[in-house]
Amino acid sequence: MMRTVMQKLGPWGPVFFGVGFLAPLISTLMINAGVTPPLGLSTVQAGLIIGFTVGLQAKLRGRWL
Amino acid sequence: MNINVENTQPLADLSDKELARMEMAIARKYLNRFSWFMVVWCFANLACWLALWPLTMSGILPLWAAFPIATLNVILCYLPSHDAQHSNYAKNGKLRWFNELIGYVSTIPMVLPFKIARITHMEHHTHTNDPALDPDYGVKADSWWQAIIVGIKRRQPGQPNSYGATLQRLGADPVVKRAILEGMAQSLSFWIILCALAWSGYALEAALIWWLPRYVGSIYISLMLSWAPHFPKPERGRYRNTRHFESPLGNILVMGMEHHIVHHLHPGIPLNWNAPAYREMKPVLDARGCRSETFGGA
Repeated sequence: MMRTVMQKLGPWGPVFFGVGFLAPLISTLMINAGVTPPLGLSTVQAGLIIGFTVGLQAKLRGRWL
Repeated sequence: MNINVENTQPLADLSDKELARMEMAIARKYLNRFSWFMVVWCFANLACWLALWPLTMSGILPLWAAFPIATLNVILCYLPSHDAQHSNYAKNGKLRWFNELIGYVSTIPMVLPFKIARITHMEHHTHTNDPALDPDYGVKADSWWQAIIVGIKRRQPGQPNSYGATLQRLGADPVVKRAILEGMAQSLSFWIILCALAWSGYALEAALIWWLPRYVGSIYISLMLSWAPHFPKPERGRYRNTRHFESPLGNILVMGMEHHIVHHLHPGIPLNWNAPAYREMKPVLDARGCRSETFGGA
Protein backbone atom coordinates (compact mmCIF):
# COMPACT_ATOMS: atom_id res chain seq x y z
CA MET A 1 0.00 0.00 0.00
CA MET A 2 2.60 2.54 1.15
CA ARG A 3 4.95 1.38 -1.58
CA THR A 4 2.27 1.88 -4.26
CA VAL A 5 1.40 5.35 -2.99
CA MET A 6 5.08 6.36 -2.92
CA GLN A 7 5.64 4.99 -6.43
CA LYS A 8 2.70 7.04 -7.74
CA LEU A 9 3.67 10.21 -5.91
CA GLY A 10 7.46 9.87 -6.23
CA PRO A 11 7.77 11.39 -9.73
CA TRP A 12 5.88 14.45 -8.48
CA GLY A 13 8.39 14.90 -5.66
CA PRO A 14 9.94 18.09 -7.11
CA VAL A 15 6.50 19.75 -7.30
CA PHE A 16 5.69 18.79 -3.70
CA PHE A 17 9.12 20.05 -2.72
CA GLY A 18 8.52 23.32 -4.55
CA VAL A 19 5.19 23.94 -2.85
CA GLY A 20 5.94 22.36 0.51
CA PHE A 21 9.42 23.66 1.17
CA LEU A 22 10.62 26.14 -1.44
CA ALA A 23 7.46 28.30 -1.18
CA PRO A 24 7.80 29.17 2.52
CA LEU A 25 11.58 29.44 2.10
CA ILE A 26 11.20 31.94 -0.75
CA SER A 27 8.57 33.82 1.27
CA THR A 28 10.94 34.06 4.25
CA LEU A 29 13.83 35.18 2.04
CA MET A 30 11.64 37.91 0.46
CA ILE A 31 10.59 39.18 3.89
CA ASN A 32 14.18 39.20 5.16
CA ALA A 33 15.40 40.98 2.02
CA GLY A 34 12.57 43.53 2.17
CA VAL A 35 11.29 42.56 -1.28
CA THR A 36 7.66 43.39 -2.06
CA PRO A 37 6.08 41.00 -4.58
CA PRO A 38 4.47 42.59 -7.67
CA LEU A 39 0.73 42.67 -8.51
CA GLY A 40 -0.24 43.02 -4.88
CA LEU A 41 0.71 39.41 -4.10
CA SER A 42 1.68 38.43 -0.58
CA THR A 43 5.11 36.89 -0.05
CA VAL A 44 3.46 33.51 0.57
CA GLN A 45 1.50 33.72 -2.70
CA ALA A 46 4.66 34.72 -4.56
CA GLY A 47 6.55 31.87 -2.89
CA LEU A 48 3.86 29.39 -3.91
CA ILE A 49 3.89 30.54 -7.53
CA ILE A 50 7.70 30.47 -7.79
CA GLY A 51 8.04 27.20 -5.81
CA PHE A 52 5.40 25.43 -7.90
CA THR A 53 6.91 26.69 -11.17
CA VAL A 54 10.47 25.71 -10.20
CA GLY A 55 9.28 22.29 -8.98
CA LEU A 56 7.25 21.65 -12.13
CA GLN A 57 10.12 22.55 -14.45
CA ALA A 58 12.40 20.25 -12.44
CA LYS A 59 9.89 17.42 -12.77
CA LEU A 60 9.48 17.99 -16.52
CA ARG A 61 13.16 18.58 -17.36
CA GLY A 62 14.58 16.03 -14.91
CA ARG A 63 16.98 18.52 -13.34
CA TRP A 64 16.82 21.53 -11.08
CA LEU A 65 19.23 23.81 -12.92
CA MET B 1 50.66 -15.91 16.75
CA ASN B 2 53.05 -12.97 16.62
CA ILE B 3 54.69 -12.32 13.28
CA ASN B 4 57.13 -9.50 12.68
CA VAL B 5 56.71 -8.93 8.97
CA GLU B 6 59.69 -6.57 8.79
CA ASN B 7 62.02 -9.48 9.50
CA THR B 8 60.49 -11.85 6.99
CA GLN B 9 62.08 -10.80 3.70
CA PRO B 10 61.57 -11.10 0.85
CA LEU B 11 57.78 -11.36 1.17
CA ALA B 12 57.27 -11.37 -2.58
CA ASP B 13 58.75 -14.87 -2.64
CA LEU B 14 56.23 -16.24 -0.16
CA SER B 15 53.30 -18.34 -1.30
CA ASP B 16 49.71 -17.08 -1.31
CA LYS B 17 49.00 -19.28 1.68
CA GLU B 18 51.90 -17.88 3.69
CA LEU B 19 50.98 -14.30 2.85
CA ALA B 20 47.36 -14.97 3.80
CA ARG B 21 48.51 -16.43 7.12
CA MET B 22 50.61 -13.35 7.88
CA GLU B 23 47.80 -11.01 6.86
CA MET B 24 45.30 -12.80 9.08
CA ALA B 25 47.72 -12.83 12.02
CA ILE B 26 47.86 -9.03 11.86
CA ALA B 27 44.13 -8.60 11.18
CA ARG B 28 43.22 -10.74 14.22
CA LYS B 29 44.84 -8.17 16.49
CA TYR B 30 42.26 -5.59 15.43
CA LEU B 31 39.21 -7.64 14.44
CA ASN B 32 36.07 -7.62 16.59
CA ARG B 33 37.31 -5.00 19.03
CA PHE B 34 34.65 -2.79 20.57
CA SER B 35 35.36 0.78 19.50
CA TRP B 36 34.36 3.34 22.13
CA PHE B 37 35.86 5.94 19.81
CA MET B 38 33.17 5.27 17.18
CA VAL B 39 30.43 5.21 19.84
CA VAL B 40 31.47 8.63 21.19
CA TRP B 41 31.79 9.89 17.59
CA CYS B 42 28.20 8.82 16.84
CA PHE B 43 26.49 10.33 19.87
CA ALA B 44 28.64 13.48 20.17
CA ASN B 45 28.03 14.29 16.51
CA LEU B 46 24.29 13.63 16.77
CA ALA B 47 24.00 15.68 19.98
CA CYS B 48 25.87 18.56 18.34
CA TRP B 49 23.53 18.53 15.32
CA LEU B 50 20.40 18.28 17.49
CA ALA B 51 21.64 21.17 19.66
CA LEU B 52 21.81 23.42 16.61
CA TRP B 53 18.00 23.54 16.43
CA PRO B 54 17.24 25.12 19.83
CA LEU B 55 20.41 27.22 19.66
CA THR B 56 19.41 28.83 16.35
CA MET B 57 15.68 29.00 17.07
CA SER B 58 16.37 30.84 20.32
CA GLY B 59 18.82 33.19 18.62
CA ILE B 60 21.85 32.08 20.64
CA LEU B 61 23.70 30.81 17.55
CA PRO B 62 23.47 32.67 14.22
CA LEU B 63 22.46 30.62 11.20
CA TRP B 64 25.61 31.52 9.28
CA ALA B 65 27.60 29.73 12.01
CA ALA B 66 25.17 26.81 12.28
CA PHE B 67 25.34 25.97 8.57
CA PRO B 68 29.02 24.87 8.41
CA ILE B 69 28.65 23.00 11.72
CA ALA B 70 25.58 21.16 10.41
CA THR B 71 27.39 20.33 7.17
CA LEU B 72 30.27 18.89 9.20
CA ASN B 73 27.74 16.90 11.26
CA VAL B 74 26.26 15.39 8.09
CA ILE B 75 29.72 14.53 6.77
CA LEU B 76 30.65 12.87 10.08
CA CYS B 77 27.38 11.02 10.65
CA TYR B 78 27.88 8.23 8.12
CA LEU B 79 30.92 6.37 9.41
CA PRO B 80 29.64 5.25 12.85
CA SER B 81 26.63 3.83 11.00
CA HIS B 82 28.98 2.22 8.49
CA ASP B 83 30.63 0.26 11.31
CA ALA B 84 27.13 -0.76 12.45
CA GLN B 85 26.33 -1.96 8.92
CA HIS B 86 29.22 -4.40 9.39
CA SER B 87 27.95 -5.24 12.91
CA ASN B 88 31.26 -4.08 14.36
CA TYR B 89 29.74 -2.99 17.69
CA ALA B 90 28.08 -6.36 18.29
CA LYS B 91 27.55 -9.23 15.86
CA ASN B 92 25.01 -10.83 18.20
CA GLY B 93 24.31 -11.26 21.90
CA LYS B 94 23.23 -8.74 24.50
CA LEU B 95 24.64 -5.67 22.74
CA ARG B 96 23.15 -6.41 19.34
CA TRP B 97 20.42 -3.78 19.91
CA PHE B 98 23.14 -1.21 20.57
CA ASN B 99 24.75 -1.95 17.20
CA GLU B 100 21.41 -1.45 15.46
CA LEU B 101 20.68 1.70 17.49
CA ILE B 102 23.91 3.32 16.30
CA GLY B 103 23.10 2.29 12.76
CA TYR B 104 19.70 3.94 12.91
CA VAL B 105 20.40 7.15 14.86
CA SER B 106 23.84 8.09 13.58
CA THR B 107 22.63 8.98 10.08
CA ILE B 108 19.56 11.01 11.11
CA PRO B 109 21.24 14.23 9.87
CA MET B 110 21.71 12.78 6.38
CA VAL B 111 18.43 10.80 6.40
CA LEU B 112 20.05 7.56 5.33
CA PRO B 113 17.84 4.54 6.01
CA PHE B 114 20.04 2.08 7.93
CA LYS B 115 18.71 -1.20 6.54
CA ILE B 116 18.90 0.01 2.95
CA ALA B 117 22.41 1.31 3.59
CA ARG B 118 23.45 -2.07 5.01
CA ILE B 119 21.98 -4.09 2.13
CA THR B 120 23.41 -1.90 -0.62
CA HIS B 121 26.77 -1.61 1.15
CA MET B 122 27.09 -5.39 1.37
CA GLU B 123 26.39 -5.53 -2.37
CA HIS B 124 29.17 -2.98 -2.85
CA HIS B 125 31.56 -5.26 -0.94
CA THR B 126 30.45 -8.34 -2.86
CA HIS B 127 30.61 -6.73 -6.29
CA THR B 128 33.19 -3.94 -5.89
CA ASN B 129 33.81 -2.14 -9.21
CA ASP B 130 31.35 -4.29 -11.12
CA PRO B 131 29.60 -1.81 -13.46
CA ALA B 132 26.33 -3.74 -13.31
CA LEU B 133 26.19 -4.86 -9.68
CA ASP B 134 28.18 -2.41 -7.54
CA PRO B 135 25.67 0.22 -6.30
CA ASP B 136 28.55 2.69 -5.81
CA TYR B 137 29.82 2.35 -9.36
CA GLY B 138 27.87 5.45 -10.43
CA VAL B 139 30.40 7.74 -8.71
CA LYS B 140 33.02 6.80 -11.33
CA ALA B 141 34.73 9.93 -12.67
CA ASP B 142 38.15 10.84 -14.07
CA SER B 143 39.00 13.44 -11.43
CA TRP B 144 37.81 14.66 -8.03
CA TRP B 145 36.07 17.72 -9.43
CA GLN B 146 34.32 15.62 -12.08
CA ALA B 147 33.25 13.32 -9.24
CA ILE B 148 31.58 16.32 -7.56
CA ILE B 149 29.72 17.14 -10.80
CA VAL B 150 28.68 13.48 -11.11
CA GLY B 151 27.48 13.67 -7.49
CA ILE B 152 25.31 16.71 -8.29
CA LYS B 153 23.95 15.10 -11.48
CA ARG B 154 23.08 11.87 -9.66
CA ARG B 155 20.91 13.85 -7.24
CA GLN B 156 18.73 15.41 -9.93
CA PRO B 157 15.11 14.23 -10.13
CA GLY B 158 14.44 11.30 -12.41
CA GLN B 159 18.08 10.17 -12.62
CA PRO B 160 18.80 6.43 -12.51
CA ASN B 161 19.18 5.36 -8.89
CA SER B 162 21.68 2.52 -8.52
CA TYR B 163 20.60 1.88 -4.91
CA GLY B 164 16.97 1.57 -6.00
CA ALA B 165 18.02 -0.76 -8.81
CA THR B 166 19.97 -2.92 -6.33
CA LEU B 167 16.94 -3.17 -4.04
CA GLN B 168 14.74 -4.11 -7.00
CA ARG B 169 17.21 -6.82 -8.00
CA LEU B 170 17.12 -8.27 -4.48
CA GLY B 171 13.43 -7.45 -4.01
CA ALA B 172 12.06 -10.93 -3.31
CA ASP B 173 13.86 -11.13 0.03
CA PRO B 174 11.55 -10.19 2.97
CA VAL B 175 14.46 -8.37 4.64
CA VAL B 176 14.77 -6.17 1.56
CA LYS B 177 11.03 -5.52 1.48
CA ARG B 178 11.13 -4.46 5.12
CA ALA B 179 14.14 -2.23 4.43
CA ILE B 180 12.32 -0.53 1.53
CA LEU B 181 9.31 0.18 3.75
CA GLU B 182 11.52 1.57 6.50
CA GLY B 183 13.36 3.71 3.98
CA MET B 184 10.14 5.09 2.54
CA ALA B 185 8.80 5.90 6.02
CA GLN B 186 12.05 7.62 6.96
CA SER B 187 12.22 9.69 3.76
CA LEU B 188 8.56 10.66 4.02
CA SER B 189 9.03 11.68 7.65
CA PHE B 190 12.00 13.82 6.67
CA TRP B 191 10.09 15.72 4.00
CA ILE B 192 7.04 16.18 6.24
CA ILE B 193 9.19 17.53 9.10
CA LEU B 194 11.12 19.78 6.71
CA CYS B 195 7.92 21.24 5.21
CA ALA B 196 6.27 21.59 8.64
CA LEU B 197 9.30 23.51 9.91
CA ALA B 198 9.28 25.74 6.85
CA TRP B 199 5.56 26.57 7.11
CA SER B 200 5.93 27.18 10.87
CA GLY B 201 8.33 30.07 10.31
CA TYR B 202 11.58 28.10 10.49
CA ALA B 203 12.29 27.82 6.77
CA LEU B 204 15.80 29.21 7.01
CA GLU B 205 16.66 26.93 9.94
CA ALA B 206 15.33 23.91 8.03
CA ALA B 207 17.27 24.92 4.94
CA LEU B 208 20.59 25.68 6.62
CA ILE B 209 20.65 22.99 9.32
CA TRP B 210 19.17 20.08 7.40
CA TRP B 211 18.33 20.43 3.72
CA LEU B 212 21.44 22.15 2.35
CA PRO B 213 23.96 20.45 4.73
CA ARG B 214 22.46 17.10 3.73
CA TYR B 215 22.98 17.92 0.07
CA VAL B 216 26.54 19.22 0.45
CA GLY B 217 27.51 16.56 3.00
CA SER B 218 26.20 13.68 0.88
CA ILE B 219 28.29 14.82 -2.09
CA TYR B 220 31.40 15.10 0.12
CA ILE B 221 30.76 11.62 1.54
CA SER B 222 30.28 10.24 -1.95
CA LEU B 223 33.56 11.84 -3.06
CA MET B 224 35.69 10.74 -0.11
CA LEU B 225 34.11 7.38 0.75
CA SER B 226 33.14 6.05 -2.68
CA TRP B 227 35.16 7.81 -5.35
CA ALA B 228 38.57 8.29 -3.71
CA PRO B 229 39.12 4.76 -2.33
CA HIS B 230 38.13 3.05 -5.59
CA PHE B 231 39.36 5.50 -8.23
CA PRO B 232 39.66 4.86 -11.18
CA LYS B 233 37.48 1.74 -10.74
CA PRO B 234 38.73 -0.49 -13.57
CA GLU B 235 40.00 -3.37 -11.46
CA ARG B 236 38.26 -6.18 -9.64
CA GLY B 237 39.64 -8.73 -7.24
CA ARG B 238 40.35 -8.74 -3.53
CA TYR B 239 43.70 -6.93 -3.56
CA ARG B 240 43.17 -4.51 -6.46
CA ASN B 241 39.58 -3.25 -6.27
CA THR B 242 40.39 -0.75 -3.52
CA ARG B 243 43.52 1.24 -2.83
CA HIS B 244 45.61 2.98 -0.25
CA PHE B 245 46.06 6.64 -1.17
CA GLU B 246 47.91 9.67 0.17
CA SER B 247 45.46 12.53 0.58
CA PRO B 248 46.61 16.16 0.29
CA LEU B 249 43.96 16.90 2.93
CA GLY B 250 45.35 14.37 5.41
CA ASN B 251 43.69 11.21 6.65
CA ILE B 252 41.32 13.00 9.06
CA LEU B 253 39.67 15.17 6.40
CA VAL B 254 39.13 12.12 4.21
CA MET B 255 37.69 10.40 7.29
CA GLY B 256 40.22 7.58 7.46
CA MET B 257 39.69 6.51 3.86
CA GLU B 258 43.41 6.50 3.03
CA HIS B 259 43.47 2.96 4.43
CA HIS B 260 40.24 1.76 2.84
CA ILE B 261 42.05 -1.28 1.45
CA VAL B 262 42.18 -2.67 4.99
CA HIS B 263 38.43 -2.17 5.36
CA HIS B 264 37.68 -4.13 2.19
CA LEU B 265 40.02 -6.94 3.21
CA HIS B 266 38.80 -7.04 6.82
CA PRO B 267 35.50 -5.15 7.30
CA GLY B 268 35.36 -6.36 10.91
CA ILE B 269 38.17 -3.97 11.89
CA PRO B 270 36.62 -0.76 13.28
CA LEU B 271 37.48 2.39 11.35
CA ASN B 272 39.85 3.87 13.92
CA TRP B 273 42.10 0.78 13.74
CA ASN B 274 42.38 0.69 9.96
CA ALA B 275 45.45 2.95 9.99
CA PRO B 276 47.57 0.92 12.48
CA ALA B 277 46.45 -2.29 10.81
CA TYR B 278 47.52 -0.88 7.44
CA ARG B 279 50.95 0.14 8.73
CA GLU B 280 51.55 -3.36 10.08
CA MET B 281 50.12 -5.04 7.02
CA LYS B 282 51.84 -2.88 4.43
CA PRO B 283 54.71 -5.29 3.52
CA VAL B 284 52.18 -8.08 3.01
CA LEU B 285 49.93 -5.80 0.93
CA ASP B 286 52.90 -4.66 -1.15
CA ALA B 287 53.79 -8.29 -1.81
CA ARG B 288 50.18 -8.84 -2.91
CA GLY B 289 50.49 -6.01 -5.43
CA CYS B 290 48.00 -3.74 -3.67
CA ARG B 291 47.68 -0.21 -4.98
CA SER B 292 49.29 2.65 -3.09
CA GLU B 293 48.62 5.87 -4.97
CA THR B 294 48.03 9.60 -4.71
CA PHE B 295 44.56 11.06 -4.16
CA GLY B 296 43.85 11.85 -7.81
CA GLY B 297 46.04 9.44 -9.71
CA ALA B 298 48.57 6.68 -9.78
